[in-house]
Amino acid sequence: MSSRDAILSKIKDNKPDLLELPTINVDVFSDSRNVEDEFILKVEVAGGQVLKAASNDAVLDQINTMFPDSKVKYSTLENTADFNTVDFDAIKSPKELEDLDVLILESEIGVAENGAVWLKDATLPMRVLPFITKHLVIVLNKENLVPFMHQAYGKLIGEDHDFGVFLAGPSKTADIEQSLVIGAHGALSLTLFLK
Amino acid sequence: MSHSKAATIFNKDEKKVNWHDKALWFVRHKRDKSAHSVEGWEELRNLGQGIKAHMLSNLDNYLIQFEENALKNGVQVHWAQDGDEHNRIVHSILQEHNAKKVVKSKSMLTEECHLNPFLEADGIEVIDTDLGERIVQLAKEPPSHIVLPAIHKTKEDVDELFQEHLGTKPCDGDPQYLTGEARKHLREKFVSADAAITGVNFAIADTGGFVVCTNEGNADMGAHLAPVHIACMGVEKIIPKQEHLGVFLRLLGRSATGQHITTYSSHFKKPRNGAKMHIVIVDNGRTKQLSRPDFRASLQCIRCGACMNTCPIYRRSGGHSYDATIPGPIGSILSPGKDLKKHSSLPFASTLCGSCSDVCPVKIDIHAQLYKWRQIITKETEQPFVKKASMKMMGDMFAKPTKFEKVGKMARWSLRNLPKGVINSKPNVWGKERDLPTGPKESFDDWYKKRKKDE
Amino acid sequence: MKVGLFIPCYINQLYPQVGKATLELLEKLKVEVVYPSGQTCCGQPMANSGYESESVGACNNFVKNFNEFDYIVTPSGSCAYHVKKHFDVIPQTEEVTKVRNNVYELCDFILNVLKIKDVGARFPHKVGIHKSCHGLRGLRLGSCSEKMTPEYSYIGELLAGVSGTEIIKLNREDECCGFGGTFAVAEEAISVKMGKDRVQDHLDNGAEVITATDTSCLMHLEGLVNRNNQPLKILHIAEILNSVN
Repeated sequence: MSSRDAILSKIKDNKPDLLELPTINVDVFSDSRNVEDEFILKVEVAGGQVLKAASNDAVLDQINTMFPDSKVKYSTLENTADFNTVDFDAIKSPKELEDLDVLILESEIGVAENGAVWLKDATLPMRVLPFITKHLVIVLNKENLVPFMHQAYGKLIGEDHDFGVFLAGPSKTADIEQSLVIGAHGALSLTLFLK
Repeated sequence: MSHSKAATIFNKDEKKVNWHDKALWFVRHKRDKSAHSVEGWEELRNLGQGIKAHMLSNLDNYLIQFEENALKNGVQVHWAQDGDEHNRIVHSILQEHNAKKVVKSKSMLTEECHLNPFLEADGIEVIDTDLGERIVQLAKEPPSHIVLPAIHKTKEDVDELFQEHLGTKPCDGDPQYLTGEARKHLREKFVSADAAITGVNFAIADTGGFVVCTNEGNADMGAHLAPVHIACMGVEKIIPKQEHLGVFLRLLGRSATGQHITTYSSHFKKPRNGAKMHIVIVDNGRTKQLSRPDFRASLQCIRCGACMNTCPIYRRSGGHSYDATIPGPIGSILSPGKDLKKHSSLPFASTLCGSCSDVCPVKIDIHAQLYKWRQIITKETEQPFVKKASMKMMGDMFAKPTKFEKVGKMARWSLRNLPKGVINSKPNVWGKERDLPTGPKESFDDWYKKRKKDE
Repeated sequence: MKVGLFIPCYINQLYPQVGKATLELLEKLKVEVVYPSGQTCCGQPMANSGYESESVGACNNFVKNFNEFDYIVTPSGSCAYHVKKHFDVIPQTEEVTKVRNNVYELCDFILNVLKIKDVGARFPHKVGIHKSCHGLRGLRLGSCSEKMTPEYSYIGELLAGVSGTEIIKLNREDECCGFGGTFAVAEEAISVKMGKDRVQDHLDNGAEVITATDTSCLMHLEGLVNRNNQPLKILHIAEILNSVN
């Protein structure tokens, strides 16, 4: 018998009688919090900052002021060709992105209860981008905020993503004596623009 | 070494015990704060428990469904009955890709299987990329906590360790500097890795995908840069549907560190263009635990570590005192199922205070299982003669009221009349640091009978 | 209402004053209490040590003594919990089920059966409450800090009704004291350390007295306080509720 079949048959023999799968009733979690205020608060708790911008141009303006010394830059926003310095057709390996200073992405889901935003690989030229960049900038429409993870997954039903990530704040660690240090292996900073 | 012996050694340095206790209590406190901010937290725990219990009752079918979907996604699926088979599978995948340098993000399963020494014996370099894990790897120690692997190390310890291994400057244990140096050191490893190994937090039956949670981004840095990604998971990591992640991701981060969600909850489904993805599904004693009705709920564990942070014994004895891959309360109910004799002292390393069960996000009845393991251990492993005999004597005495009265009288007389030096002599472990009560002349029983007579 | 009083073995032999206070308090509250002779122990010391089979005699003796009562009241959350939770070790006859259903910890009985909040006691001191674990997380005699449920505490509610008593707040409101039965000896180092830390929390917050629903925890804490000559008095809650000045 293959290991697969051996394991499966042991489980079949050893499992208890079928128990019912509970249904999730989201109503029991509802609180009176304002989704936008809560989202801003939780992004900050997670170590990120939230700014407001009316247009993509306004985002670029602010980013150019925030990171004046950045050399390697990339944005997936519409009409931002001038901002980009990376030619993905010329890149053979994701390792060549090591010097990426600023990356601007769009997200279509933001979660108020924890400040997480959903990034999917359909909008990423390469999966490693949001992790390898020094500074990560994400633009999100206010209308795409949901209160809890349950509604976020509700939005994902029927969508098919080869890779996706809920991302909350910049990379961090507290592995040395519980002291929080921002910027472990991933991005050193996260800036979120609410449109 | 028994837990109590190791704990006694740990307690020789009281300052360090206080420091360790406070560091972990701080995490428990953060957990309380963030759990309090969630309306319906207890309902969320009920859901976590219910979904996991259902999963276990239909596990074979969910695994088949998961495999089918993963294969459709272009992922290769392997099955291992034990740690040895798991290690051989991982090794053969690495050989197939001629991989000599491996980066690995946190996976308690690979710890359990002792994967690193197995691969290193064949000249493969395995670098643990979680900062805490890298620290203990450099110190040649096992992790002492499943979420905070280096919680037993002071910042000064890390400073010294990094000076020796990474050539850093002395910095009085500045965490910012040390983390920055580790980032540089590990960046090199990520960029040059031939393969990445990760654990799996949740595997989703209805998509064939899996989720890996980290704060540092190390799993993603490894998996998205290396040409091969191997994800290792225990059979019990399955959840039925993607939407169930809504429940577990709300519970996991808050229970683990008090964060409202881990920084990165990465959903892997298909390998990226030109890269390979493998999943190794491992039993290694889990199906045996599933066969034990009293203990199968331990397989609901989502490895948040909250039971360790809350446990007053764990906090004061350190993770290494458990001498097991998973320390603390949850480890003390998992480990006896793997090797009853070796881990026979662990279910006794508890006052049965029950804090672990109430803090557990998936409501595992940990303290009740500790009690049940005790009953099995006294039957199935050899016990000290004195313990066995005294239990028999006590059982006998409490069954017979007249005997109890006689023994009680004698005990009270001794406590009243023997010199303290005799009472607190070596065989009386209680008396080492605690006084015994002075024996009253009259028991309650005596007093009550006299009062009755006088009425 | 037929009420039987169960006095745990160690209270009977080593802390008779706790038994007396319990009986007197219940009588003051107009409860007719019977103390059946021939009682010993609930069986917990053997069972928690992994020798449930050796506790069978004690369990049977307990049921024999108490199966006729409407309520069984005991000044110990831990013993009451043991009867409720672990008497599976003997066959579940009607008598056994009755005993298991009717056993009450003292504060629980006063507050929830007698429905009395003010027992008419006076105790003008600063008191710290040690919330003994088996009562707290086993019998749910109060809310625990791990769960996100409304706050309550039976012992706290009764103590709040005592004239002159100031209840002090602790840094860790419901951490275990480290007694744990044979744990106190088998894991001596940790047990002592846990106890010392509990005592210190009470001292740091200005307690003059530590009280609890369980004399077992208190015996452990008292042993440390006496050995280290610390300025704390250790009293069972029955002794405070039975005080008049």
